[in-house]
Amino acid sequence: MADNGDQSLKWYSTREPVILLVLTTLTVLFFLAVSALSRIYHAQQEARGESWYQRGIADRQAGNLDRAISEFQAAELYSRGNFLYQLSLAETLAERGKIDEAYSYFSNLRERQPDNGTVSLGLARILAKKGDTNQAIRYYHNAIYSVWDSDPDQHRRAVRFELVDFLLRNNAKNQAESELIALAGNLPNDPALRTHVGDLFLEAQDYQHALEEFRDALRVDHHDAAALAGAGRAAYELAAYPSAKHYLQGAVAANPDDSASADLLKTVSLVLETDPFRRQLSASQRDRAVIDAFNAAGERLKDCPLPVTTTAQRSSTPTAEPPLDARWKAMKPQVTLQRLRHDPDFVNDAMDLVFTIEQQTSAQCGAPTGKDLALLLVSKLHEGSER
Amino acid sequence: MKELSEPPSNGASLEHAARTWTFGPLGSASRALFRQVFQEERFFLLLSVFIGILSALSVVCFRFAIDWSRIYLLGSETNASPLRLILAPTLTGLVIAALVIHVFPLSRGSGVNQTKAALYIYNGYIPFRTAIGKFITASLAIGSGHSLGPEDPSLQIGAGLASALGRRLHLSRDRMRLIAPVGAAAGLAAAFNAPISAVLFVIEEVIGRWSAGILGSVVLSAVSSVVVMRWFLGSESLFRVPAVGLVRPAELIAYIALGIIGGLASSVFSRGIVALRPRLKALPHWTQYFQPAAAGLVIGLIGVLGFPQVMGAGYEFMDQAIHGQFTWQFLGMLAGLKIVATLASFVSGTPGGMFAPTLFIGAMLGAAVGGVEHIFFANLSGSTATYALVGMGVLFAGFLRAPMTSVFMVLEVSGNYSIILPVIVANTFAYVISRSLQPTPIFDVLTRQDGLDLPSMEEEREAGILRVEDAMKPAKDPVLSSDQPVSQAAQLAEHAALENLLVRVKPAGWGIITKQELNTMVKEGKGDLSLGSVIRGHVGYLHPDYQLDAALRYVNRWPLVPVVSRANFQQLEGVITQQDVLERYRAVSEM
Repeated sequence: MADNGDQSLKWYSTREPVILLVLTTLTVLFFLAVSALSRIYHAQQEARGESWYQRGIADRQAGNLDRAISEFQAAELYSRGNFLYQLSLAETLAERGKIDEAYSYFSNLRERQPDNGTVSLGLARILAKKGDTNQAIRYYHNAIYSVWDSDPDQHRRAVRFELVDFLLRNNAKNQAESELIALAGNLPNDPALRTHVGDLFLEAQDYQHALEEFRDALRVDHHDAAALAGAGRAAYELAAYPSAKHYLQGAVAANPDDSASADLLKTVSLVLETDPFRRQLSASQRDRAVIDAFNAAGERLKDCPLPVTTTAQRSSTPTAEPPLDARWKAMKPQVTLQRLRHDPDFVNDAMDLVFTIEQQTSAQCGAPTGKDLALLLVSKLHEGSER
Repeated sequence: MKELSEPPSNGASLEHAARTWTFGPLGSASRALFRQVFQEERFFLLLSVFIGILSALSVVCFRFAIDWSRIYLLGSETNASPLRLILAPTLTGLVIAALVIHVFPLSRGSGVNQTKAALYIYNGYIPFRTAIGKFITASLAIGSGHSLGPEDPSLQIGAGLASALGRRLHLSRDRMRLIAPVGAAAGLAAAFNAPISAVLFVIEEVIGRWSAGILGSVVLSAVSSVVVMRWFLGSESLFRVPAVGLVRPAELIAYIALGIIGGLASSVFSRGIVALRPRLKALPHWTQYFQPAAAGLVIGLIGVLGFPQVMGAGYEFMDQAIHGQFTWQFLGMLAGLKIVATLASFVSGTPGGMFAPTLFIGAMLGAAVGGVEHIFFANLSGSTATYALVGMGVLFAGFLRAPMTSVFMVLEVSGNYSIILPVIVANTFAYVISRSLQPTPIFDVLTRQDGLDLPSMEEEREAGILRVEDAMKPAKDPVLSSDQPVSQAAQLAEHAALENLLVRVKPAGWGIITKQELNTMVKEGKGDLSLGSVIRGHVGYLHPDYQLDAALRYVNRWPLVPVVSRANFQQLEGVITQQDVLERYRAVSEM
């Protein structure tokens, strides 16, 4: 053993530097050889990955989603960990409706790049589809405040638009309204964008902000049909009928095919015509308007007979008024130009009955049209006001 | 290896002796030996780094070779044509058979047992030709779609390379034995991109024992190997899994179910190999030319029938399963068919590893179980990915029977430490069930089928260790004290049953004296002398927790050895003699 040890010791002590030198040289040479091989290998893998990726893109655009998924998977196989390939795969999976699979990929991508806006948006969309509203909103917000490689403002705006759409679809109008206010505050002076925001405000039933957005759009382009239509609609909802008429006339003139605006214009015009309390009207015009409204209410009652309260019900409520048709019939002979001219209070009585009839028939038979709708709107316009 | 020139003396324990040993009478020769050992140890550590680097470079080339084989044999697309799916593994099977029979006869199988055999039988010798053969045949097999993995071959390539280096460098026999596992750890670490798992596996399954010398070399080689591998192939973990937490402890029940199913599947898988492998080996020799081709045909048909995912190592499909791209029914089919395909490939003698197929089966099974559990318990927080990962560990623990490695392997290949609890729980169940259904681990069965008798690491782990406390007896005779007069000691000794009496030597030692010596001294008029001044030699002592093997050295030298407390060396716990030790061994062997 000792002899062996001595020999071994001698062997090492005389050769160790040489051995180390040879080993190092061998290792370096092997390393260089593998490096060269590795360059060839990786170049080939990248080329294959890119080739499959391009095919995937083409198939995705052509709507061949299954094939695109397979191609993106192949691309990922050759360029493992390639963020772009994985992202495309995740997006295509989501488009194909493979929500869980896409979610898994997106979650993974998010771990790798937590600030990536596209990934957060992808997650938000998937969670929205899954019905996880709170998490979806969280990821939409993440996407809004994330990093975007190109044109971050436009991306953030687009995400916020999508978020607002999502909120409106989920009937979260208040949240949608606050998002819209934030969105409107950072909008460029682009009439199309303003109009779009105005439309969303309309959906969120924030008519005042909607009208402001449409007006902003019209300041840039006075003849923007969509903005005129939107402004008309917002003014209509705000019961600003003269303004509504003005905008809607502009909208119809700018786009004669806009039937919705045309219909709304008719209604607005009718409102303005049938409202006997307009300031511009002379006394005789007002009286004729009252008579027309009274007759229209009578017609409405015929078309939509209200249920007759029973004798028992009437006896139990001694102060209850007689049925509307009876009241209308009782008042009808008195609604004459002469009576209206001499008794201005009677104008109010007649119109009160008209408004009551329109409101009750509306509740009973659904939303009216034409003149009845106009009268209903007029009733709302003057509700609780001194005439 | 480091022999003591003198047994422990002066009442010193083994530990104390190890601290204070001298070169003894051999003098300069021992010093030279010491220097040689020291120099070789240092050199061995340096060599481990070189082995790590060279193994990693080889494994990187191996990976390239597999990929190129796959692309040229099966095409670069993920869905190869049916003709290719059948022809590639079948025809390559014929080529592989010819190579294995005529050129590389030792490159069959996975490579783990061959490395173990090198350690225990062939003094670390693995022919370099085998490593080359493994490289060529395994890359062809895996690339053509045979259901095998690259990890075990990488392990053997590393071991073969290390063994060749060791031989060229004239390493001593002890070092040569260790060099193969060092290379094996490097190869496995590079293949898995998992240094901890590689070190654990080699320690747990190949070497079977922990010691600083081995561990240092194995760790160095594994780490240097992974560094080089990452240089070329990137540092990304094998699978990308989103972090997941265990929301409610009750969810562990779901993972226990997975552990049970995994344990059963492991048993089916290993029983299949155990039953089929000897039958195929027993067929006429000429059939061996066609067995890999037949296996390739079976696998190709499985691929054509709509399950090409079972072909090759299948890592990309494990990734897809982790990302929930398959339904639980399809995952279940994949797990079952992968067992069939791997059985066909492995028992036909096609070179390739079992690690990747095990992970594949585990991942599919785990994801399937996760899918089913989500149907019945929709509020479980574990994702498909978590179940798939835990499933991998489950099969690793159940089939390969490396419980520690299985836990760390899952953590390392996923880079995700949040699932450790489910992994531990599920693996434990799988391991216990697999052990009860298939008592002998698969690697041990394979070595026995090959006519070798290698130590079973699992059996060694489970074997009870005999300790001094199992053989020692209570001290019935009086214990003398070194400051007692000889005459008083002689009087006490008269009532003693044994001839030898222990003497407590102050401040902290033990001596031994016989009744006859005491009586002689009294007769010679030395009765007034203190015992301390007349006892000639000191006796070594043992502690109750020492292994009984260690006591043999003591009881051979002294007729009676004191067993003392570790806290107070003067406090006698018992005594032990050679006869006590032998009786104990005899009793155990008769059990």
